[in-house]
Amino acid sequence: MTRFFAATSALTLCIASAAVADAPAKADVLANYANIAEAKYDDSLIAAKKLQAAVNALIENPSDATLNSARAAWLAARVPYQQTEVYRFGNAIVDDWEGKVNAWPLDEGLIDYVDASYGGPSDENEFAVLNVIANPSFELSGEAVDASEITPELLAETLHEADGIEANVATGYHAIEFLLWGQDLNGHGTGAGNRPWSDYAQGDDCTGGNCDRRAQYLSAATDLLVSDLEWMAAQWQDGGAARAALAENEAAGISAILTGMGSLSYGETAGERMRLGVMLNDPEEEHSCFADNTHNDHYYNGVGIQNVYLGTYTRIDGTPISGASLSDLVIASDPALDTEMKMKLANTMLALGLMKSTAEAGFAYDQMLERGNAGGEALIMGGVNGLVDQTKTIERIVTALELDQIEFEGSDSLDNPDAVFQ
Amino acid sequence: MRKLVLLAALALPLTAFAQDREPILLDIAQSHILPSYARLADTAQVLSETAKADCAPNSDALRAAYADAFDSWISVSHMRFGPSEVDDRAFSLAFWPDTKGFTPRALSRLIDDNDNAVQTAAEFAETSVAGRGFFALEQMLYDPAFADQGSAEYRCDLIRAIAADIAANATAIDTDWQTYAQSLTRTGENSRYRNDDEAMQEMFKALSTGLEFTADTRLGRPLGSFERPRPKRAEARRSARSLRHVELSLIALQDLALRLSADHPDVTEDFQAAFDRAIQRAQSLGDPNFAGVSTPEGRFRVEALQQTVSDIRRIANTQLGPALGIGAGFNSLDGD
Repeated sequence: MTRFFAATSALTLCIASAAVADAPAKADVLANYANIAEAKYDDSLIAAKKLQAAVNALIENPSDATLNSARAAWLAARVPYQQTEVYRFGNAIVDDWEGKVNAWPLDEGLIDYVDASYGGPSDENEFAVLNVIANPSFELSGEAVDASEITPELLAETLHEADGIEANVATGYHAIEFLLWGQDLNGHGTGAGNRPWSDYAQGDDCTGGNCDRRAQYLSAATDLLVSDLEWMAAQWQDGGAARAALAENEAAGISAILTGMGSLSYGETAGERMRLGVMLNDPEEEHSCFADNTHNDHYYNGVGIQNVYLGTYTRIDGTPISGASLSDLVIASDPALDTEMKMKLANTMLALGLMKSTAEAGFAYDQMLERGNAGGEALIMGGVNGLVDQTKTIERIVTALELDQIEFEGSDSLDNPDAVFQ
Repeated sequence: MRKLVLLAALALPLTAFAQDREPILLDIAQSHILPSYARLADTAQVLSETAKADCAPNSDALRAAYADAFDSWISVSHMRFGPSEVDDRAFSLAFWPDTKGFTPRALSRLIDDNDNAVQTAAEFAETSVAGRGFFALEQMLYDPAFADQGSAEYRCDLIRAIAADIAANATAIDTDWQTYAQSLTRTGENSRYRNDDEAMQEMFKALSTGLEFTADTRLGRPLGSFERPRPKRAEARRSARSLRHVELSLIALQDLALRLSADHPDVTEDFQAAFDRAIQRAQSLGDPNFAGVSTPEGRFRVEALQQTVSDIRRIANTQLGPALGIGAGFNSLDGD
């Protein structure tokens, strides 16, 4: 009997919704989604160029002031970039590229000097303390490497993911972060990494040794970040490969939006980046462990997920972008589900906002991770719970829009068993 | 008006032909989940008591109790939702893969600090999950690195604390499942599952995620690449349990797959054959900790086993999913 009523009311809902809103064309939703991607990657590029200018100023004229400007530029550059991450898991072209710019976590001893407490080569990574800045030549997997000149090519082609180990991160935001801040040796105490500006001083004032090579490294890594972002921004312009891939199959395109939202919410941000750190109580198990910027990393991931659903984005110069949205599409098939999604996204942002504002008031993310710190755990887990909860609704949308079986197409290991051996 | 008719036509079949999921959900709860978690709770209790009686790392009784309890965990570890996720219980039972060496570091830190947390269950439960559970216990029992670190007395206390913590988590999950099982069939607006499609999707996800984990992580991690095999990444290699875990997980997943496909005999038949082939291949492999992945011959055999698991995944995703009318959803392995 209850089943009968449920069916009746579902039918009523369908009829009601048909009267309320017409579904936008899927092509329009996808076009707006691509427009927002284009704007976000373009903003990331603009911010990275500002970082590049600040880094050049630091290298030309090392001082406390130029180091601090470079740090400020790095922090600003993270704001648009973290909002792009929602594009990652749904779009293969982004996922294949992402490791160059945002790989994490890293064994930073690969790059530069580290504190003795960091340890030596590990079971997993024999290059964990390679220190390329101090070593102009070394051996990598049995081959001699000439690193006398630290170039973007050396970083991207030889050093990054050396020996097939993901923790050998030689490029991207977090490598640059380490070069600007240094290790955070405060444990769960107050403070971020505290690299002195004199690590870039040339001549007798140089601290940490090899300041010329450190400057070379920082410059190469920043140039690489700019060129990598240039490439990705171009993929989303008219005629770009990312935009074209999305338009190939409209249903698969809509599914890609939801896959990006769900995977970033659940497995990546809630799981790998947030809950794991709480469970391990490790102060360095945070996304931006050198700069202590992790609260912003998670917060802007959340913002990115929300603005992709709503189909609106405000550019870093204040220009608004908006158009047909996934939300409109859901309203047309199930308005209650759209309300549920909006409410859950808002709840998540409230929880992530609380974590962010508390961090900004002085209670840093690595302090929240401390064993037995119930308040810190509650702040982080509030965000985790919100993200997990919103994933449930994203799944419901996949079902409501009848996209359930989409994922089964186009999976290499499932459709083409021979591919796993390639 | 045409639009309304079309919508009505679309809405009706969903309910008219809705599958009655309740018998399958009840069967999985009663015969697959509850007995498995009960067995885990029992064997974990035995492990804790055995450690109390004899904490020597090379004690036969202790190692046997460890093996029994670990077997029970692997046989139910694909049921990662609800009670297992409260208070990070499942992570506390088994933190693996450990890509950054957290477990040896957490254990060393406890030992070097003579950390008092081992004296109180509640305090020990606050420590890092990497220093607790079966994988931490394995290193304490089998890794020479911990054979003489710190004092023998502290190591003994630590082993007992880990065993007691395993028992506490296993019991808590088992207890919670007694009530959680009802939520699988009592679905609705204010329940964990809005309808039985969602409850069914949870079961389906347990199967597909379990298969993915065995293929990509249990087998894929030690395989590495042809140029760079990674035998040291094999699961529980120190106690030579890597292959056993693959076999146990396949046996448990087969049981789940057959129950899930009960209304679709053709799918059941394909599952039966594919699982039999994979389990048989695992049983005849003869490389307990996958040390053989470093040789071309040994590698080929492990790849062949991985291939049979991929065959099962294909049946789950292309046959069972559509037959049940259920999508894959998101799982914790999404992301990198």
